[in-house]
Amino acid sequence: MHFDLIVIGMGLSGLMAAKTAAEMGKKVLIVGKGLGTLSILSNTIDVLGVLPETVKMKDGLSQWIEEHPEHPYGKVGLEKILEAISSFNSFFPPPYAFQSRNETNSLVPTGAGTLRSTYLIPSTMMKGITLKEKKALVIGFKGYKDFYAHRLADSFKCRAITLSLSETPQQETTATALARWMEQPAFRERIASEIKKQIKDESLVGFPAVLGLNDPMGVKRDLEKKTGASIFEIPVLPPSIPGMRVFNRFKQRLIQKGVTFLLGHSVSKVILRGNRCEGIEILHPPVVNSYSADRHILATGRFIGGGLTADRKKISEALFGLPVVQPASRQDWFQKTFFSDPSHPIHQTGVLVDSSFRPLNEKGEVLLENVRVAGTILAHHHCIEEKSREGIEISTGYVAAQKALSM
Amino acid sequence: MKIQTEVLIIGGGATGAGISRDLSLRGIPSLLVEKGDFLSGASGRNHGLFHSGGRYAVSDPEAARECIEENRIHRKIAPHCIETTDGFFVSLPEDGLEFRDRFLKACEKAGIPATLLTRDDALALEPGIHPDILSAVKVPDGAIDPFTLVLENARDAEKNGAKFLLHTGITSLDMEGGRVKGVRAKDLIHGEEYSIEASYLINATGAWANQFLRLAGLRIGMALSKGSLLITNQRMSHRVINRCRPSSDGDIIVPNETVSILGTTSVRSEDVENFEVTPEEVDLLILETSRMIPKIKETRLIRAYAGIRPLFQSEEQDDDRSISRGFALIDHGKRDGVENLITITGGKFVTYRLMAEKVSDLLCQKMGISVSCSTHLKPLPGAGKYPSLPERLKKMGHLISPEKGEILCDCELIQRAEVERFLKEEKVKGLQDILHRTRLAKGTCQGGFCIYRLLGLLHDLRMAEGDSNEVLKGFLEERWRGIRPVLWGTALKEEELLESIYKGIFNLGP
Repeated sequence: MHFDLIVIGMGLSGLMAAKTAAEMGKKVLIVGKGLGTLSILSNTIDVLGVLPETVKMKDGLSQWIEEHPEHPYGKVGLEKILEAISSFNSFFPPPYAFQSRNETNSLVPTGAGTLRSTYLIPSTMMKGITLKEKKALVIGFKGYKDFYAHRLADSFKCRAITLSLSETPQQETTATALARWMEQPAFRERIASEIKKQIKDESLVGFPAVLGLNDPMGVKRDLEKKTGASIFEIPVLPPSIPGMRVFNRFKQRLIQKGVTFLLGHSVSKVILRGNRCEGIEILHPPVVNSYSADRHILATGRFIGGGLTADRKKISEALFGLPVVQPASRQDWFQKTFFSDPSHPIHQTGVLVDSSFRPLNEKGEVLLENVRVAGTILAHHHCIEEKSREGIEISTGYVAAQKALSM
Repeated sequence: MKIQTEVLIIGGGATGAGISRDLSLRGIPSLLVEKGDFLSGASGRNHGLFHSGGRYAVSDPEAARECIEENRIHRKIAPHCIETTDGFFVSLPEDGLEFRDRFLKACEKAGIPATLLTRDDALALEPGIHPDILSAVKVPDGAIDPFTLVLENARDAEKNGAKFLLHTGITSLDMEGGRVKGVRAKDLIHGEEYSIEASYLINATGAWANQFLRLAGLRIGMALSKGSLLITNQRMSHRVINRCRPSSDGDIIVPNETVSILGTTSVRSEDVENFEVTPEEVDLLILETSRMIPKIKETRLIRAYAGIRPLFQSEEQDDDRSISRGFALIDHGKRDGVENLITITGGKFVTYRLMAEKVSDLLCQKMGISVSCSTHLKPLPGAGKYPSLPERLKKMGHLISPEKGEILCDCELIQRAEVERFLKEEKVKGLQDILHRTRLAKGTCQGGFCIYRLLGLLHDLRMAEGDSNEVLKGFLEERWRGIRPVLWGTALKEEELLESIYKGIFNLGP
C-alpha cells in the first residue's frame, strides 16, 4: 500500500504528526509498537516547566529560544509552538480540556507530596492548584500500591483516608483497574457515601489520577454532586491514566479522519534508495508486510521508546542508523551523583536535524531528504529537567509533518 | 549516658558479631559498638563465596586449610545460610594444565576434596561454560548469605546477654597508665553521647583498624585493596565457577539465589569511605568472566559494587594478591604496651568464626580464665528450620498469598504484610537497616519502585520519620553508585524511566 506519509512511532509526537498530515487531507499510515511515554509519564502538558509561575509562557519561550537556538524549540520557533498547542487543544474541547492559568505555569500537587510546575492542566486536575489555600482530604485505596494518601497528607498538612475497593479485604489493584471501578455508578455511590461520612470541613477532595478512562469529567461531576466537595486528580506512578485518555482521544479522532492506525506493530526494516526512504517493512511472523510512502517521519522516542539504544561503547539510532551526537565515552554519559546540576550529559544526546527537521550527519549534510525526525529523539534538549516533554513532542510532531508535506 | 562493660567490641562486621557470639557462649559480657549497621563494611560487600579453600590451595596453604575447616563447621552450624552448590575450577586453553596439576596436589595436601572432571562431564553439568575448556576440578565451594549469617550470630549473642549499639561512632579514647580506660561514643542518628568504661577492648573494625588505633596513637601495617564486583540479572550457573590459574582479575562467578556475582578486581585504595567501580573495571570483569561463561557478554547487569579488603602486611609489599589473606591477631599489650587492647583484622569472610575464636582465646588468657570455645559445635538459631532445598522451596510455594496484601516489591515478590510484620518486630533505625534485613531493592529495578512504596507504607503506619522525600533522594543517590557503572542496554531504558518518574512526575531535585 502506498501513502503520502508514514509516521513511525505512536507517542505524542507521532500522533501529532499524523493529525497534522490528516488535517491537510493526506493519506497517512501511523505505526507504533506501543503508546510511547504517553501512557507512562504524561499527566499534564509540560511546555517549559522551568519557567517561574510569574512569567507568561509566550515571553518565557521567546527568551528560551533566543538563548537555546540548538534546542528543538529553537528550530520550531515561537509562532509554530503556539500553533501546535492550539492544534493539540482542538482535540480536547470542554468539558475535558487542557488549560493554563493566566498563560503561565502552575503548581500541581504530585503523588510524592511535592508541587510540580506545568503548563496545560486537564480539567480533572485543575482544582489541585488551589490545594495550598484550601482544606483538603486525600483519598487512598487499600490494595493500590502506587499511591499513599497519608504520605501526601503529611506533606500538605491535610487529612487522608483509605477506602477499600470492595467487601473483600486486602485485594490488590492497579491504576487501570481502579479507573474501571470509578466508571461504575454503584462503586461511586459507595465511596461517595464513605467520604461524606468521614469528611469534616474540607472543601477539596484529592484522588489519585484514576477517575475513569472514558468520561473523567462525568466521574468528577458525579462525585462532586454526591460529596458536595470539589474533586481533583493527583499524578501518580506509571501507568498514567491521563496519558491513556490522550492516546485514546487521538486514536479515535485519527481513525475518524481516515488515518491507517497500526498499533502493536514494529517496523522491522526501512527501505532506502540513495538519500530517500521508499517505505517500511513490518514483520508479522511468518509474513512480511510492505508499505511505501513519499515521506516519512521518525518519532520513535529515546531509550524507553526504543528510538535510541546503547551498548557499552556507544549510543545508536535504532531504525535508520542515523548518527547520534554523544559524549566521547561511556564514562561521560552520567554525572557522579544522581541529582546533579547540570544533569547527565546522556540526556542531551540525540539526532541532529536541519531547520526542516531532516536528519544530518556530523558534517551538517542532509542524510535522507524525505525523512523528518520529531519528538524527544532530537538532540539538544533535556525534557526531564526542563519539563518540556509534551511541548517538544507536540510542536516538533506538528512542524515535522508540515515541513514534510510542504515539499 | 554512662555504660560499663567487661568487653567492648568495636565493629559490627562478621568478625565483631562472631566475637560477640563467641564471648556470650563463654559467659563473658560484651558490648558491640558499630558506626553503621551490621555488615556495613567488607562483610556486606564481598562475593558471598562459601570457600572450599581451593582459591588459596596453591598460593596460601595455611589459609586454604582454615577455609576447608570452616567450610565443614558451617555446613553443620549454619546450613540455612549456605547453598552447597560445589564449585568448578575450569582450565581454558590459554591456561594450560600445569597449574591445574599443581592445584590438584595442593588441594590434596590441604585436605580439600577435589575431583578432576573431563571437558564433556563438566559441560554436561554446566552447559553454560565455554565449550573450549580443557577440564574442570570440582571442589566443595558454595554460596553463603552473609547477611543472615551475621545477623544470626548477633541474634544468638543477644539471646545470651550480649549488647549492641548500632549507628554509634567512637569519638575518643581515655588512656590511663598503659590501658584504655574507656571510650566516648556518639549516636550518629539521634546525637546522644555515651561514656563507655570497659576492662578490655577489641578492635574488629576491618579496613578501619588504623582509624580506630589512631585514637590511641597506634598504627599497624595494612594495605587497603578495593575489590569490585558485578551482579547479573539472572543466575549464570548452578555452581561456583573459578578460573584454574593463579589468582587474577575476573576469575570467579558465584551464584546467589536468582543472580550471579562476577568478581573481582584488586586495586590499591587509600580511602575506605569513598570509592567507585570504574568503567574499566566493569569492562575487564565482563571480558574475563565471559571467557568462562560466554553468555555473560549479553547478560544484563543490575548493579556494581566494591568492598575494601583490609590486608595485613608485616612489611611493605607491592602486589596485594601476594599478601596473605590470612588474618592478623595483634596483642597491643605485647606490641605497644597497651595491655587491654586487641586488634583483629585481615582474614576472609568465611574464617570470621575462627578469627573470633582466636580473639576470645587470647582474651580469656588475658583475663586469666579458662573457658573453651563452643561456636563450632552449637548451631545458629535458624539452623534446622529449613534444612534442605526442597523444604525451602516448599516454604516459598506458600510465600505469595492474597491475604498478605499487595506485592510491594515486584522483583523479589515481597508482600505488604511481610514488611509490616518486619517493621513492627525489628529494631531498625532507618532505610539502610531495613534494606540490610529484607530483600527489598535487591532485584532488577534495584528499589526503583519499592522504596517509594516502602516510604508510603511508613506513613500509613505512622512510622515515617523526617522528610520522606529526603530519605528517598538519599536512597536514589546510594542506588546510583551501584547502577551508574552498568547503565547501557535495558538497564539504561529503566534508568530513563526512573529518572523521568522521580525528577519528572514527582519533581524531586538536587
